Amino acid sequence: MARAIRSNTRVDLIVLTTCIVLALAARALPNTMRDPVATGMRRSFLAPLVLLQERAEKGRQSLLSADAKQTYLDSLSLGSMKAGSLEAENDRLRKLMGLGSRLRWGFIPAEALHGRGVRDETTVILSAGSRAGVSRLSPVIAPEGLVGVVDQVDPTMSHAMLWTHPDFRVSAMSPDGTAFGIAQAHLTGATGGYLLELRGVPFRATLKPGSVIVSSGWGGVWPRGIPVGTVLQEIKTTEGWARTYLLRPAVNPSDVYSVMILRRDRVAKGLDGVWQNLAEVDAAAQRIVVSGDSAAKSAALAEAAARRAVLDSVARATGTAPAPTTDSARAVTPRPVPVRRPTPVDTNARRDTTRRDTTRRDTTRRDSVPPPNLPLSPGVMR
Amino acid sequence: MNVGGAVRALISFLIFVVLHYTLRPLLGWRAPMDFLVLALLLASVRVRPATAAVIGFALGLISDSLAPDALGAGAVAMTIVGFGASYLKAVFFADNLVLNAFFFFLGKWVFDILYFVGEQRVHGFELVQQLLLWSPLSAAVTAAVGVLLLFIMRPLLEPSPA
Repeated sequence: MARAIRSNTRVDLIVLTTCIVLALAARALPNTMRDPVATGMRRSFLAPLVLLQERAEKGRQSLLSADAKQTYLDSLSLGSMKAGSLEAENDRLRKLMGLGSRLRWGFIPAEALHGRGVRDETTVILSAGSRAGVSRLSPVIAPEGLVGVVDQVDPTMSHAMLWTHPDFRVSAMSPDGTAFGIAQAHLTGATGGYLLELRGVPFRATLKPGSVIVSSGWGGVWPRGIPVGTVLQEIKTTEGWARTYLLRPAVNPSDVYSVMILRRDRVAKGLDGVWQNLAEVDAAAQRIVVSGDSAAKSAALAEAAARRAVLDSVARATGTAPAPTTDSARAVTPRPVPVRRPTPVDTNARRDTTRRDTTRRDTTRRDSVPPPNLPLSPGVMR
Repeated sequence: MNVGGAVRALISFLIFVVLHYTLRPLLGWRAPMDFLVLALLLASVRVRPATAAVIGFALGLISDSLAPDALGAGAVAMTIVGFGASYLKAVFFADNLVLNAFFFFLGKWVFDILYFVGEQRVHGFELVQQLLLWSPLSAAVTAAVGVLLLFIMRPLLEPSPA
């Protein structure tokens, strides 16, 4: 019994010694042999345990980074909410810089501080005053066009009347100079939108929807060529001798934050070329309309000539006198400068033709007589 | 130990090993519990010292394989701890939670001492701090978790009535 116990103890000690020797041998292995042994164990029977540990580590990382991720997501959401307004502001500032580079000199950049009252969008405070060169009646403009005019000046700030003010007036015209009028706020009550109206346009001058209206330069306050708005439609008024048009303003008063105040010497020099692109776009649109009218007129003339030829053939075949050729010639041959004549016309077709001629005559007159001192290059309207 | 008891002990052993590679990295404490030492101690008190030494050697190699620079250090420590636990099982075989807790605490602390001395990665003040501060803390956490698991897994670990 005692021998068996001693034998077991001896076996235990031998196994213990063997294990320790093996462990020390493993500890004494050089790195070049240690790594393959460890790697071999990790890739074989320890692979499931390694996988478990990896997933547990990832789980811990996820738990630890959850707060940071949530904070990041919150910041991202907040940033995306601000992105829209920042983009709009960036766009506005880019336009303002573009306007500044086109003006080159004679302007004072300023911030527009809006009032807090309900629909108090008729005046603004500007962050530039007489020390910066602002004077009374200095025009206030934005990249899109006309904003208002300075009516009070302090040393460090000034007060401007926006175009929405009931007392605001600006002499305006179409870029080709065919229609002139006075632009003012369209006062339709508290529920009305911010619109302009162009009053006092001569009855013979018609403006199509979409036409651009710019300042005419008459009166000495506003230089010529600043966009005022675009024509929406003609509105009926009690004035029978002139037309009144509703305009969509070039500048929305509630969107005015950064503006430029023009100095008097800059006003005197004019703003030729500052809104050149706008005028060119409008001129291109007008050319498309004119060419469309010409094509329609040519088609109508050709149809009338064919009808006349058929009538002449029938008359010759039946032996009756042919119709007078003067009407046919008159209908077929386009006249370069037709004149409105009060003589009555015999058929509806002739009346239509006459009306087309009248339209053409206006167009021709616009093309052939360009207004003086327009900011358009010669030949733009042709 | 009959077959049923051996199977239950094997299952408990595997549970501890799995916990070592799942719960321990998930918690990531500075003074972590060591489920491998717990598994070794619980197995050692049920087998002969030679078998406990082999189990310790195997567990040590497993733990060392994930830290190749210390290959062999854990094997040495666990072999000694396993053999010692099995050799002293008569002392700690009592069904007393406090004695078992002290047993776990001592086993883990001895393991850490052997491991860090054999590993030779930490020196000087850091080694003293590790062995006198972090290792006892880790041993205490291990003992607490061991007692808790012992309490939970008592039906699995108790020897079946003859």
